Amino acid sequence: MDRARPFPNVVLIVLMLGGAVAWLTLPAISVAPNRIVQGTPQHAVAALGWGPTLLVLMPMLAMAVLAWRPTPRRLPGVLALVIVLLIAIPLWLSGVAASMEPTARLGIGSALWCLLFIGLLALIELRSRLALSRPLGWALLVPVVLVWWGCLTQWLAPLALYREYQGRSDQFYAALAQHLMLVGAAVSAAIVLGAGLALAMRRHSRLRRAGFGVLNVLQTIPSIALFGLLLAPLAWLSARFDWLADLGVSGIGWAPAWLALLGYSLLPMVRNIFVALDEVDPAVIESARGMGMSRRQVFLQVRLPLALPVVLEGVRITTVQAIGLTAVAALIGAGGLGTFVFQGLGQAAMDLVLLGALPIIALALIADALLSALTDVLRQGGTT
Amino acid sequence: MRGNAAAALRWSRRVGWWKPLAWLGLLLALCLGMGGLEGLFRWLEPDSRQVLYARSSFLVLLGQHVMVVGLASLAAVILGVGGAVAVTRPFGRDFLPLVSQLASIGQTFPPVAVLALAVPVLGFGTLPIIVALLLYGLLPIVRNTLAGIQGIDPGVHEAARGMGMTRGQILRQVELPLAAPVMLAGVRTSVTINVATAAIGATVGATNLGDPIISGIVNGNTAYVLQGALLIGILAITVDSTFERVQSWLVQRD
Repeated sequence: MDRARPFPNVVLIVLMLGGAVAWLTLPAISVAPNRIVQGTPQHAVAALGWGPTLLVLMPMLAMAVLAWRPTPRRLPGVLALVIVLLIAIPLWLSGVAASMEPTARLGIGSALWCLLFIGLLALIELRSRLALSRPLGWALLVPVVLVWWGCLTQWLAPLALYREYQGRSDQFYAALAQHLMLVGAAVSAAIVLGAGLALAMRRHSRLRRAGFGVLNVLQTIPSIALFGLLLAPLAWLSARFDWLADLGVSGIGWAPAWLALLGYSLLPMVRNIFVALDEVDPAVIESARGMGMSRRQVFLQVRLPLALPVVLEGVRITTVQAIGLTAVAALIGAGGLGTFVFQGLGQAAMDLVLLGALPIIALALIADALLSALTDVLRQGGTT
Repeated sequence: MRGNAAAALRWSRRVGWWKPLAWLGLLLALCLGMGGLEGLFRWLEPDSRQVLYARSSFLVLLGQHVMVVGLASLAAVILGVGGAVAVTRPFGRDFLPLVSQLASIGQTFPPVAVLALAVPVLGFGTLPIIVALLLYGLLPIVRNTLAGIQGIDPGVHEAARGMGMTRGQILRQVELPLAAPVMLAGVRTSVTINVATAAIGATVGATNLGDPIISGIVNGNTAYVLQGALLIGILAITVDSTFERVQSWLVQRD
């Protein structure tokens, strides 16, 4: 056993050397005098000189060296260096911003995107090597997010993405709220309807076959097509019935978006609830009956708690999927963060696209993390 | 659930290739004969001067759509299967945890957001769409190929080695055939997502079946929207039922 001299961690070495090459050869930023003109790309050295460039380079090279002999005592050091790297990026950007004209706009270049991506990959790699728990992995990102936030509010005013946000911060929060509301409304309706359907399917096998058949076909129809197919009937309904029109139902807007989201959410929801209820060990049910529990008690106190983690898994899949589909719903005027994406694409304003796309990704990741953490907690609670 | 899947499989075996072929026939018939439905669209959209999308023929749009999805999916299959096989070999095993984590985290990303992020990097047009579809399409393929190869009973591996098979033979004659159904399910997911995402690509300057929908929404012409939506929906079902058929053929073969 040569535990003292473990094999080199090839993954980290490749990542860090790749990061170093990207940092030195790709443009790190782009500078534009105003919103309309396209920015000119600049390399890191040209933007802020050799000193700061090497300061960002150091943690990467240090990590590559440490990863050559990744002893258990060195790996936490590598982890700390990744955090240092992710914190160094906004500080370096702040340095660039300090020397810029007040009206100029600073865009993030491909080298910086590469570094951010490589930093996150290194975090994922280290998390699995060190066997860190999921919450701890997320906790590691807290200092990084805080430093980014501090830099943004203090020094990074010229950052084009931040400019776009400042110009429409009210709209941004309204869109965020709209996005969350649509997702929430669709997922909660899917839970209620899905539970009802799953329970009915347990009783009637014919309904089960037909139900899964319809939901499966629905799931394969592309979202943009389903939104489009709902447009005509809903427009007709709202023209026919005044009370529907008063509710705000029309061919475009929230109504077709919500209906389509609900349709897409039903399959994962129904499937998971059905499987969850079905998979509970019959012996457990038997013994609960033997203890003199009524049918109702068995369902509420035994079957449901045991099924809950799998049901939550369904809620997680549904929520993540709905967050992405709601972005598409912006095309039919349902609002939400997708509005910025499509507006930005229409005006060829890439920072506006980012202002929509990055929060959508963040929302999906956060929803995924929170709901899987909740599932873990319930699983542990179930086994003790 | 398993009984349900088995029943579906038995049914699809009995129906055979008729189901995908019937959908394909409907798709082509609609592409060629959309004009025959003009009365219906006129009734839907009485105020518009024009009710049939005429900027490009539906057949061309369909061809573009299929080409973009096909190219991206083909590349995704080659890269995804190649990558997943590489990280399960001794020389690439170091990358296995990272790749498998990345494949599952990446699937949390909404496809639209990936498409939107490809545009600032690659510009407008068909290329960014192919690249975005390729990148996103990789994830389910990598994930399922890994699951398929790792799900093989170690005893099978052992027996193959005992028979004197080389590593390459084991890969080609044991691992890939055994993993094929799971891999194919990954390809199916990937292609289904790509058909849908390519349609959204019409907003970044590609011409495909998403075009009538987008231009219908922009001009307030419900008939255009309906034409695009019908064709995309039927295309998706055609592709999906073809995969269903191939999957049942794979299972039947054993």
